[in-house]
Amino acid sequence: MIEVKNVTKRFDGFTALDSLSMRVPAGAVYGLVGPNGSGKSTIIRHIMGIYRPDEGEILVDGQPVWENPAVKGRMGYIPDDVFYFLSASVRDMMKYYRGIYPGFDMERYEKLKGVFTEVRENKTIRTMSKGMQKQAAFWLQICLRPDVLVLDEPVDGLDPVMRRQVWGLLMADAAERGITVLVSSHNLRELEDVCDHVGILDHGRLLLERSLSELQENIVKIQIALPEGAALPEGLNLLHESTTGRLKTLILRGEAEEIEARLSACAPLFLDMLPLSLEEIFIYELGGNDYAVKDILL
Amino acid sequence: MFTINYRDPRPVYEQIMDEIRKLIISGVYAPDERLPSVRELAGQLAINPNTIQRAYRELEQSGYIYSVAGRGNFVGARQEVDVQRKAELLKTFAETARELRWLGVSEAELASYLREGETEK
Repeated sequence: MIEVKNVTKRFDGFTALDSLSMRVPAGAVYGLVGPNGSGKSTIIRHIMGIYRPDEGEILVDGQPVWENPAVKGRMGYIPDDVFYFLSASVRDMMKYYRGIYPGFDMERYEKLKGVFTEVRENKTIRTMSKGMQKQAAFWLQICLRPDVLVLDEPVDGLDPVMRRQVWGLLMADAAERGITVLVSSHNLRELEDVCDHVGILDHGRLLLERSLSELQENIVKIQIALPEGAALPEGLNLLHESTTGRLKTLILRGEAEEIEARLSACAPLFLDMLPLSLEEIFIYELGGNDYAVKDILL
Repeated sequence: MFTINYRDPRPVYEQIMDEIRKLIISGVYAPDERLPSVRELAGQLAINPNTIQRAYRELEQSGYIYSVAGRGNFVGARQEVDVQRKAELLKTFAETARELRWLGVSEAELASYLREGETEK
C-alpha cells in the first residue's frame, strides 16, 4: 500500500505538489493520469524516495520511504528516462541488482530471455535505441520480484506487440502475487484494461481518485425518444443532455437498472442504454468544473 | 483463446463474459470442464485480474459457471442458467421479430426459422 499524505513540494517558489494526498491500496493497479506539468513524475519521484517532500509524508506499507533501504529493496521503478551506468550491459546491471535487491530471481531472468529476444544481453544499454532500453528496464525490473512497482510512462517507445507482452507479464504477476502497481500514462484506453483504480492529477492536486468499477457503475448514457407531450421523470441526476430531432441523449448518474426502470415507466418510443468509455466518463465527471481534463484526454 | 476488441465501447468484463458465454453455448467448453485460470487469462489478454475475476463472478451468478475454492472455475450444468438472461434474450428476439415483421416477413416464415433453429441442434 502506498499512502501519500498532504505532500507539498516547491521548486524555486513554484509549487509542484500542492498538499497532495493519494492512496494506492495493496494489490491495486493504479493509473495516474494528468496533463503535462501536473506533477505526475514529481509525485512518483517522491514515492520512490528520490525527492524529499517539503511538507507531508509518504508511507509504503506503513513505513517512510526516504532513506529506507528495507522498503526500497521491495520496490521496482522504471523512470520516464531510464538510467544505466556508462558502459553497463543488461548482464552487468543484473549482477549489480542481484547484489542489492533481496528478491532478485535468477531463474526468471533466464526465462525472460525468451521474451525479450531482441535485447542483446551483453550490449551496452546506453547504445541501444529508446525502445530497447525500455525493454531492458522491464526485463530487469520484473526479475526483482518487487512487491510495489512504480512505472512512469512505461510503455512510451515500446511497439504494440511488446506493450501487450509486458502488460501480460505484469498482469499475471498481479494475479499471482498481488503486486501493487502504480503507473502513470496518457493513454486512457490502455489504462482501462490494466488498472482497477484511477487518480487524476492537475496542478499538483488530485482531482479524483476512484476504483474503476465504481466509476463505470455510477454513470450511464441513455438514448431515449419520448411520445409527444411526455416529459422526463423528476429527480434524475442529469449530467448532460442533448437533443437531435426527437431523440434525446442523456448522461445520468446513478444505478443503470433503477434508471432504466424509471424511464421505461414513461412509455418511451425508443430506449437504449449505451456503455461509456473511460474517456467519456472523465469528460462528464469532471468536464463541467475543470476544463484541464480536456488536455488529459488528447 | 479470444481477444478483446479495443474499439468496442462495452466494458472489458462484459466482453469477457460474452466471449466465455459464447464458448460455453457453442460447446467448446463442456459442462464440468475447467476454464482458464484468472492468472492465465490476465497474462494472456493483458487485462487486470480483478476484471477477469468480476466476469467470472457474474457468470457464476447467472449459472453459466461454478467455482470450486482453490481449484478454479468450471462450466455449469445447463438447466441452471438464469431467468434474467432468458428475459434479456427474449427481449432482443422480440425486437428482431418486430423489425422482421415490419420488413414484411410473414409469421409463417418466422415460424419456419424457429423450427430450423431447433433442428440444427
